[in-house]
Amino acid sequence: MPETIDITLSVNGLAHELAVQANVTIADLLRLELGLTGAKISCDMQVCGACTVLVDGLAVSGCTYLAVDADGREVATVEGLATDGVLNPLQQAFIDHAAFQCGYCTPGMLMSATALLAENPRPSRAEVIAGIDGNICRCTGYLPIIDAVLQAAEAGAQR
Amino acid sequence: MIPRFALARPASLAEAFDAWDATDGDASWYAGGTEILQVMKMGLARFGTMIDLKRIPELRGISLAAGDGALVIGGSVTHREIEVSQDVARELPGLVALEAHVANIRVRNQGTLGGNLCFAEPHSDPATFLLACDARVRLQGRGGTRDVAIDQFITGPLETAREADELLTAVIIPPARSGEGRAYEKAKFRERPAVSVAIRLRVQGGAIAEAYVSVGSLTDIPVLVPDVAAAFVGAQADAAAGTFGEALAQARARLGHLDAIGDLDGSPDFKRHLAGVVLGRAAIAALSEAAARA
Amino acid sequence: MTRVEPWRVTTRPTPPSPIGESVPRRDGVAKVTGAARYATDMAVPGMAWAKVLRSPYPHARIRSIDTSAAKALPGVIAVVTAEDLKARGDINLYYGHALTDHPILADGVVRYSGEAVAGVVAEDELTAYEAAQAILVDYEPLTVVVDVEGALGSGAPVIHEKEAKQGFHRGFDEDIQRDHPNVCSTAVQKFGDIDAAFAGAHLVLEGEYRYPNSYAYAMEPYNSMAEWRHGGLTVWTSCQHPFMVRDDVSHVFNLALANMRVIAPYVGGGYGSKSYTKIEPLTAALALVAGRPVKLVLSIDESILTTRGDGARVRIKTAFEADGRIRGRQAEILLNTGAYAENSPLVARKSANRISGPYRIPALDITCRAIYTNTAPASSFRGFGAPQGVLPGESQIDEAAERLGIDPIEIRRRNVVAPGEAPWPKVRGLDADLQADLSLVAEALDWASTPQPSHARGIAISASDAGSEPVSTALIRIHVDGSATATIGTSEIGQGSATVMAQIVAAELGIPLENVSLLQSDTAAVAYDRSTGASRSTTIVGLALQDAARDARAQLREWAGEVWSAESIEEARGGLVVGGVHRGWGEIVGAYFAGDFGEVVGRGRVRKVGATKQMPPFWEVGCVGVEVHVDEETGQIRVDKLVTVGDVGCAINPQLVESQDLGAAIMGFGMALTEELIYTDEGTLLNGNIVEYRVPRASDMPEYIGIIAERGDGVGIYGAKGGGEGSLNPVAAAIANAVRRAAGIRLREAPFTPERVWLAIRERDAAK
Repeated sequence: MPETIDITLSVNGLAHELAVQANVTIADLLRLELGLTGAKISCDMQVCGACTVLVDGLAVSGCTYLAVDADGREVATVEGLATDGVLNPLQQAFIDHAAFQCGYCTPGMLMSATALLAENPRPSRAEVIAGIDGNICRCTGYLPIIDAVLQAAEAGAQR
Repeated sequence: MIPRFALARPASLAEAFDAWDATDGDASWYAGGTEILQVMKMGLARFGTMIDLKRIPELRGISLAAGDGALVIGGSVTHREIEVSQDVARELPGLVALEAHVANIRVRNQGTLGGNLCFAEPHSDPATFLLACDARVRLQGRGGTRDVAIDQFITGPLETAREADELLTAVIIPPARSGEGRAYEKAKFRERPAVSVAIRLRVQGGAIAEAYVSVGSLTDIPVLVPDVAAAFVGAQADAAAGTFGEALAQARARLGHLDAIGDLDGSPDFKRHLAGVVLGRAAIAALSEAAARA
Repeated sequence: MTRVEPWRVTTRPTPPSPIGESVPRRDGVAKVTGAARYATDMAVPGMAWAKVLRSPYPHARIRSIDTSAAKALPGVIAVVTAEDLKARGDINLYYGHALTDHPILADGVVRYSGEAVAGVVAEDELTAYEAAQAILVDYEPLTVVVDVEGALGSGAPVIHEKEAKQGFHRGFDEDIQRDHPNVCSTAVQKFGDIDAAFAGAHLVLEGEYRYPNSYAYAMEPYNSMAEWRHGGLTVWTSCQHPFMVRDDVSHVFNLALANMRVIAPYVGGGYGSKSYTKIEPLTAALALVAGRPVKLVLSIDESILTTRGDGARVRIKTAFEADGRIRGRQAEILLNTGAYAENSPLVARKSANRISGPYRIPALDITCRAIYTNTAPASSFRGFGAPQGVLPGESQIDEAAERLGIDPIEIRRRNVVAPGEAPWPKVRGLDADLQADLSLVAEALDWASTPQPSHARGIAISASDAGSEPVSTALIRIHVDGSATATIGTSEIGQGSATVMAQIVAAELGIPLENVSLLQSDTAAVAYDRSTGASRSTTIVGLALQDAARDARAQLREWAGEVWSAESIEEARGGLVVGGVHRGWGEIVGAYFAGDFGEVVGRGRVRKVGATKQMPPFWEVGCVGVEVHVDEETGQIRVDKLVTVGDVGCAINPQLVESQDLGAAIMGFGMALTEELIYTDEGTLLNGNIVEYRVPRASDMPEYIGIIAERGDGVGIYGAKGGGEGSLNPVAAAIANAVRRAAGIRLREAPFTPERVWLAIRERDAAK
């Protein structure tokens, strides 16, 4: 069995030193080793986006991104969005608009929207749609999600 | 599930080849991993060692070649880096537009153009476009470096001219000439294109002087179709002109002779028809870019 | 009629707060912080992982299975086949609530490509996976049949040689009827003089329609975890009907219901696809053999092979008067139910019931047969047999309108049943006002105006006998501080039950919403509920909660009388006025137990008596309008505008109603335009993954107007009735009707792919 590789990474601002097998994905590392089960596995083919996490601010598919590739990097997950139990404007907007039903896509959807807003704080509706088009939601019909992201952008602009 | 493997993380090209030599050949390069890890996960490939190319500075960056000003895209440059590159936007705007619609943003953040070409997925967007753009890839091995034109590089579905121990270090795209327009259009009903067409036209004196057309997702690999392209030569460079309409009709008829493959998106007949529709849209887009470069 | 806000029409009386208020979802914080736990997130100490080996053959006899190489791999705990389970003697290999035709693992024969042949338990998931691949199976391929015509044809292979026992949870009264070895069940809906109806008709339309084999794609794959302790079994699973799963699994292991516990935490999508039992028996069997808690998480690719939606071939004939009134309808529906019955006998029953629509039809002759084929098993899926019949039925209404020169809305007006009028004998009268709903859609679509070129509008309507069986219970415990805990068996599958049920409890007890907590879907801890499906929960469980609240209040009234010996006791919000003094519920509890402790337990139940005696408990109507654009070059249909009416009687939480309607409509949109599981004639599924099975994306979304009509006409509390499926059922038909008007083509096979549209356009042009 191949040897493990020592990596250091920060997850939601917390530093970790870990020894991992090279084939372990970041999603499995988060879910099984670190107990952060927010990122979800669904299609397992980089299509649905339920496993979306940010690595150095870039959205990646946690199902097909190796944990070793996050060595030396900052990983952000849905668990890191709220501060001291206070929801951020995006999270609050998702609640205001009922932008989820079953909630299984929500962590990934939130992280994609987080990356979008970080890069483009005042996106147009079309830009929001483009930003989340790679995330599947099977429950809502997307419109509440689009509205929520636009509301969060508005809230961000007012702060 | 991704099978177990050993990992090598070279910090230079020299180290990369050393890492390869340290294996018995049961190894694969990877950068973004969006293609290779997926096929490994599906049980279709398995390697004892994976060699990570992301730490190799020589493979990074987008630049313009000193001599002819060709666009040089490093082997580990991601789709997203191309999508947001000012150089690419200026030199080859069609590639930016194309990259903005490759898969989804996560794949574009992670996956590389080089990896896409080496994987030679028959529905590849970039391969189809780069064919028409007369691009080439630079391959480097222990034995040296060679440049291979895209149409020589892609030898079959999931097959290329690259030797297993060779690395794709750069993709090189010649600069646009005066009066040249390059465009890519696709019809897409699922994740991958149903059919795609790229066209490069050069306009001189109000007429189309040269044309190159490639089609993707229609036959088993993206291909140049010189007889289709030839139909455009001599036509007026005006989408509303009668000669252009005739040229397009002729080009579409010639597409009808291609040995199209039916798939989930439709029968060969429908896909040839779609290719004709997309060809028209691409030709008009190319004309408009050509006019801007006149 | 008052318009409360732009598209909310309310004629019902005002209910007590917080009924009718769009309070934020109570699962919101958990779901936006990643704290919400799904079955897939669960783990217990000592847990091992399982994986399944699946058949590559769609139909084959198993000659032998060699598990030795798999067993020899380090980390492997157990490798299990059907023979191993049979040899134990303590497991019933076959399960199935309608027909017990489904072996936990293939029993000598595989009937579809992807059927589970062996299970492996190992210390980690990768080892289990690799061991499964190391199992050698010798198959003898058999003749394959993948479509319904083939399965009924001469020389078709018999898919189930032994007739299975009828199960106890069929969901309908009659016995399962079979008239061919490959018929899983037959449902008939017949009344009136059908021959006379057609003989005297001014116009008779005939057509053949197809609806795709589909996949619900609940994003959380099928997964469960089983643990045996002290002779009892606990299963954590992603399911809609925990009590039904409990009952099925207890039969497999001969367990008393009391020794069997099923826990369904947050469910990552259901849409009917997590109704009934899936992989729970296998997980529990593997745990029993391995002697360890076992977790089995299927991939989505495997989930597609576990349960799909029934495809259909429908031959339909409708007779009309010259004025557009329907004289009669005849139809033969063949459902492709796949290799095992699952819940398809009930889907067949419902499809037969639902194809006639909300119309006054003097004569009907419908036969629906669920057909076994060598494809993945089909079962419940949102809409439940309705969309398969609504596409043909509503296409023919539009076709008649066109032939007779009547406006599509007008022809429906001439046929829809009035409120209170029963569409067929011996059923509840329609508890909805479709005349009014049609007007709302027409207004929202701007029906009378002329659309842009290549654009057109279309509508379709439907009615479903919904609600399943009205069997639910609930408990409400009011604590000494006046707060309340309610327990219900309804799963939170995203529909918002955690929010709506809490609103009902708060309203019925007159206490603040934040003082209500809910415990759901743990069969050892909560009160019995039949199922979370058929749009029933708000209506049926809502009534059970109301009954429980009434019971709790009645007890407290008695206690207050005893404690304070008062002459007058009157109900007030949040308590009782006892001898002129307001006493909160908690105060009464404390006074009764003489201290700062104790509680009252209110018991509620709903059964087939009283208001819920007549079936169906309620009708769920659908009324959908669309505006579409057809790209005649590529054949692509774009839906520009979508209008739905949520005719829900009383919207307990309007935001959730709208969210259900939009979600349902977009699911219908998927099946109408892109979604289809495609099998080769050899039984290979070509697109069994989410790359190639295309579900709607954000960029596909139309402009949307969601209308909520509240007329207080349902059997549920404050006149509520169910929603969440009605807006799916007519979507494909509405799009087909709009495309007919936009491009002059009649699409009869869903999904309406670009190629099908293109072929229809070519046919249209050739006919010119």
